[in-house]
Amino acid sequence: MLTLAIPSKGRLKENCHAWFADRGVTMEQTAGARGYRASFTGFPGIEVMLLSASEIAAALLAGDIHLGITGEDLLREEAPELEGRMSLVQPLGFGFADVVVAVSNYWVDVAAMADLDDVCAAYAARHRRRLRVATKYAQLTRQFFAQSRISDYRIVPSAGATEAAPAAGTAEVIVDITTTGATLRDNGLKVLEDGVILKSQAQLAASLTAEWDGEARAACRALLDRLGCDYPRLAALLPG
Amino acid sequence: MTAFPYYEDGAMEALNAQAAVLLGLFAERGYARAEPAVLQPASLFLDRSGEEIRRRTFTLTDPSGRELALRPDLTIPICRQAVRAGTKLPARVCYNGLVFRHQPGEPDRPTQFFQAGVELLGLEDRAAGDAEIAVLAVEALRAAGLKDFSLRIGDLALFNALVDALALPANWRGRLKRHFWRPGYVESLLYWLGHGDARAGLPKTRGEIEALIDAQGDAPPAGRTREEVVARALDRAAQAESLRLDPKVADAIAQLLDISGPADAALARITALLKTAGINLDPQLAALDARLKTLAGLGIAPSAVQFTAHFGRNMEYYTGFVFEFWARDREGPVQIAGGGRYDSMMEMLGAKGPVSAIGCALRTERVLAVKGAA
Repeated sequence: MLTLAIPSKGRLKENCHAWFADRGVTMEQTAGARGYRASFTGFPGIEVMLLSASEIAAALLAGDIHLGITGEDLLREEAPELEGRMSLVQPLGFGFADVVVAVSNYWVDVAAMADLDDVCAAYAARHRRRLRVATKYAQLTRQFFAQSRISDYRIVPSAGATEAAPAAGTAEVIVDITTTGATLRDNGLKVLEDGVILKSQAQLAASLTAEWDGEARAACRALLDRLGCDYPRLAALLPG
Repeated sequence: MTAFPYYEDGAMEALNAQAAVLLGLFAERGYARAEPAVLQPASLFLDRSGEEIRRRTFTLTDPSGRELALRPDLTIPICRQAVRAGTKLPARVCYNGLVFRHQPGEPDRPTQFFQAGVELLGLEDRAAGDAEIAVLAVEALRAAGLKDFSLRIGDLALFNALVDALALPANWRGRLKRHFWRPGYVESLLYWLGHGDARAGLPKTRGEIEALIDAQGDAPPAGRTREEVVARALDRAAQAESLRLDPKVADAIAQLLDISGPADAALARITALLKTAGINLDPQLAALDARLKTLAGLGIAPSAVQFTAHFGRNMEYYTGFVFEFWARDREGPVQIAGGGRYDSMMEMLGAKGPVSAIGCALRTERVLAVKGAA
């Protein structure tokens, strides 16, 4: 059996259904499974699970499912080093969002990551405290700040409404997703020129740590062929 | 190796016996034993160290919601205690205890290990302090029964003094100092210095800058003050046109950063490069020479000491002389001790100004493993 997870709610779910339907694959809810199980018509070897987008990223990493659809931002946050653990099979052309570094417009002297580096270091030296970065993307932030050679900062985990953190006084910098930038603008924030960490969209991803027996491989090939995705490229990455 | 060590079959006895020898030596040299708590307030490490330490620090929340951390080192708690208690300086403190570190990307490396070490706080004569700790580190390794080990040294003060000697604005000097140990990045900074800073499109007068800030709406309630923003904007506007570094000097710095080799040869090369660049760092070179003489006095020849110019601070708080001792266990080379000068730590922890501070720590389990492999 091949297991594939798709988002259980919201626009991502609707877009997924449409994406499969466009390629001639229709989904049927499994009776009595309270809407958490489904199957693809004509693909008896595939079990479809409906999970939250972040659960899908975690399940792919843990090898609990073979395939999953979720945002690339969540995948990269869950597994900063994808290699050997997951493979991005196909970008799906929806769910676009940029993960960005933003600061208050009030900081007129800060336009780029190099400015942020200066400001973080000066603040730490002067106030003996670090500037705080509010984010749901701690891993992506650490990685990107390390690449940008910034070390004088502190991550404040954010549970929601990250864009409000600077105005609330709980952080000075945020790392968050944005699609149009409207929410950031409404909150008096600006994205740094070179502060785009990731241009994300929904991805069909495969777990490389799941149990890929012959049956799962065959079902995966049949599905990917129908969807017009590159199975041989994935097969070359699968273990064993 | 395992992430979760289990000590058995006399391992603790061997470690304790070795620790007794080390602590005995430290006590004989006037170092008083201290034992900070294993659990510490998380902010102690997270606010004072960079994200690199935070990444390696285990944090937890107690049932009342307080953020705590398992100590990733003993230096910071010992310094904080000295600041809090107003300990009379100079102070000599020694310790032996567990530290806890997450090992990113290396799930099989131990998450906890023992360290035995010393901290020398507030000795104004820095050369004497450097010598005292270097000597004590060598003596400690020998007391533990090690004969063969190699020594790698560096000096952050040397590069800082070099940057201070350059005709550059303060923020650029700060940037170079912060990043000198990152190969590649400093070279690109030097390149920017040669070509100016293209991004400064800010107004040039205080009035215009303040008007621009006011146009942005309310000030954020926390973080940088309005004056900090104005002052930096003014600085940047002033620098935008004037920022240039003589290519000959930039080249000399890049070459200096590249130096790595036997310390006597390295010292000669640094001296020659500085002469070319027309920069006088005689006090720093004399300090380096004095350290080599100290080591020679212990039977460690300068040609046997590795000097690496960009050797810096994986703990992010060193400010001057830094050193690492290496040896081989069954699996290959391992760092068995390390330390250095961290003159800004006490001030970061609340002291009224910079306090001279230097220390070193031995990885006692590795020392035993090296002895076992010999």
